[in-house]
Amino acid sequence: MSVLEEMQENVVAGNESKVVELTQKALDEGLAPEKILNDGFIPGMEIVGRKFQENEIYVPEMLMSARAMKAGMKLLEPFLTEAGIEPIGKIVIGTVKGDLHDIGKNLVAMMLEGGGFEVIDAGVDVSAQKFMDLVKEKKPDILCLSALLTTTMGEIKNVIDAFKENGLRNDIKIMVGGAPLTVDYSKEIGADGYSPDAASAVDLAKKLLGK
Amino acid sequence: MGKLIDLANSFYSENKRLVAPLLGFSGVKLAGSSIKLAQQNHEEHFKVVSSLVDKFRPDIQFVLMDLSVEANALGLNTIFPPHESATVLKKDREFSMDDLDLLRKIEFDSDSRLLSYVKTVELMKRNFPSEVKVGAYVSGPYTLAGLIIGAEEAGLMAAREPEKLEKICAFTTECIMKYARLLLSAGADTVCVLEPSGVMLGPSHFNKFSAVNVKEIVEICHSENVDCVYHVCGNSMHLIEEMVQSGVDALSLDSKDNNVNLLEVANNVPKKIVIIGNMSPTKTIVYGNPEEVKTEVRDLLELMNKFPNYMLSTGCDLPLETPLDNISAFMETGRNYVVFSGN
Repeated sequence: MSVLEEMQENVVAGNESKVVELTQKALDEGLAPEKILNDGFIPGMEIVGRKFQENEIYVPEMLMSARAMKAGMKLLEPFLTEAGIEPIGKIVIGTVKGDLHDIGKNLVAMMLEGGGFEVIDAGVDVSAQKFMDLVKEKKPDILCLSALLTTTMGEIKNVIDAFKENGLRNDIKIMVGGAPLTVDYSKEIGADGYSPDAASAVDLAKKLLGK
Repeated sequence: MGKLIDLANSFYSENKRLVAPLLGFSGVKLAGSSIKLAQQNHEEHFKVVSSLVDKFRPDIQFVLMDLSVEANALGLNTIFPPHESATVLKKDREFSMDDLDLLRKIEFDSDSRLLSYVKTVELMKRNFPSEVKVGAYVSGPYTLAGLIIGAEEAGLMAAREPEKLEKICAFTTECIMKYARLLLSAGADTVCVLEPSGVMLGPSHFNKFSAVNVKEIVEICHSENVDCVYHVCGNSMHLIEEMVQSGVDALSLDSKDNNVNLLEVANNVPKKIVIIGNMSPTKTIVYGNPEEVKTEVRDLLELMNKFPNYMLSTGCDLPLETPLDNISAFMETGRNYVVFSGN
């Protein structure tokens, strides 16, 4: 088994220390950082996403895989930067004002990273103004908005409206998600896409960017 | 008061349905109060839930849904926005198992806010019409563990260090049972275990960290001849068997928007278990008009027509902004619907 196949397997198993060890081994063997990312981490996380969608694994196992991938990525990132490898897209993500629940948002962020995106995590309880400031400053391709509560889902609409009112809406794709949201609601409030889970979020983000 | 399944069967034999949407915050509007005030003061709380009973007369009226009661009683930082339910803040440092010893020293069951919920139940039992069941909520063992150690950390611990998480869930269960005993003494007719975080687990983890522990809560309820309900938010279809195995009397399930197939559940669970649900609490009833609500309620009742063990409800708690006319439409349709039971 090649080092990259072994890496995929350990990303799926959520074996953090082994993934770090294999990342180092792959670098030591002289593999290109881009190859390690594209043939190691990304396919590993794709398997994780598929298993999650098919109810073969659940959030705990997905979290383990995402953490393992993240630990490997930490080691790999400086080499990717040095080699001038660009992420496939830049994303700002956060939970909307009033919502402090971040497990879903964190999972989506980790899966997007594992899918080759650069992710800027705005955190929880983020106001529309802060989202707009971040978008102006970081110039992401996609903004991901999350809400877990029925009481805060309305804030997602407020953020989208604020982007429209300030002439920023056309500059960015907006993806939404969270337990109380539905695809109908996402269309109604003018989002570009809705993702029912963390695994689908990667596919949606790629689709929105035509990747 | 009779068991829920007997009531459901009796209603069905008279071609009627038990009707009880998960109502709470709407009472704040009716009573001119605030969620913050009601969640901190038992008289205000009682005023809020009474206003719901006066206006809608559901078959069960619960206290306000509040997942912070037990966590707050354990000293966890909690915020109280005026018009949102209280929320437990994320811990700013990593949980250590030594923290469990500190938590054990807290006199959990003498916490004033927890006792205000107990007093609210007492007032409800004393003052509600006898035909309205008094419902109380407790947090689920895994959800409370997640509030103590962090939801993400709980998920990771389930996979990496299950024996540690089992200990934490055994502790949370002890706390929940103390609270449940107080609620039962206060006169609760139904105790509903709220386990929203459980939906993130696979069946074996759910069984280990939630259902096995809920079984103990069920036993306490049954010793007082009180019903115990399991409520899991989201798509809980993979957990139905484990929920049933806990011995609960009823399952309260989320809406079809979350891919919960109520018909499939009803076809597969024992007939002694009441199925409660599952109109979406975030769509038509909040954003639609009364006519649309009536149509959706009728569709749901038709879908469940052949099952005596069914109670019409919502998939989760109705948000504050739910129009009162829509709740009236829900109740009216549920009350007027004639079940074709073959009698």
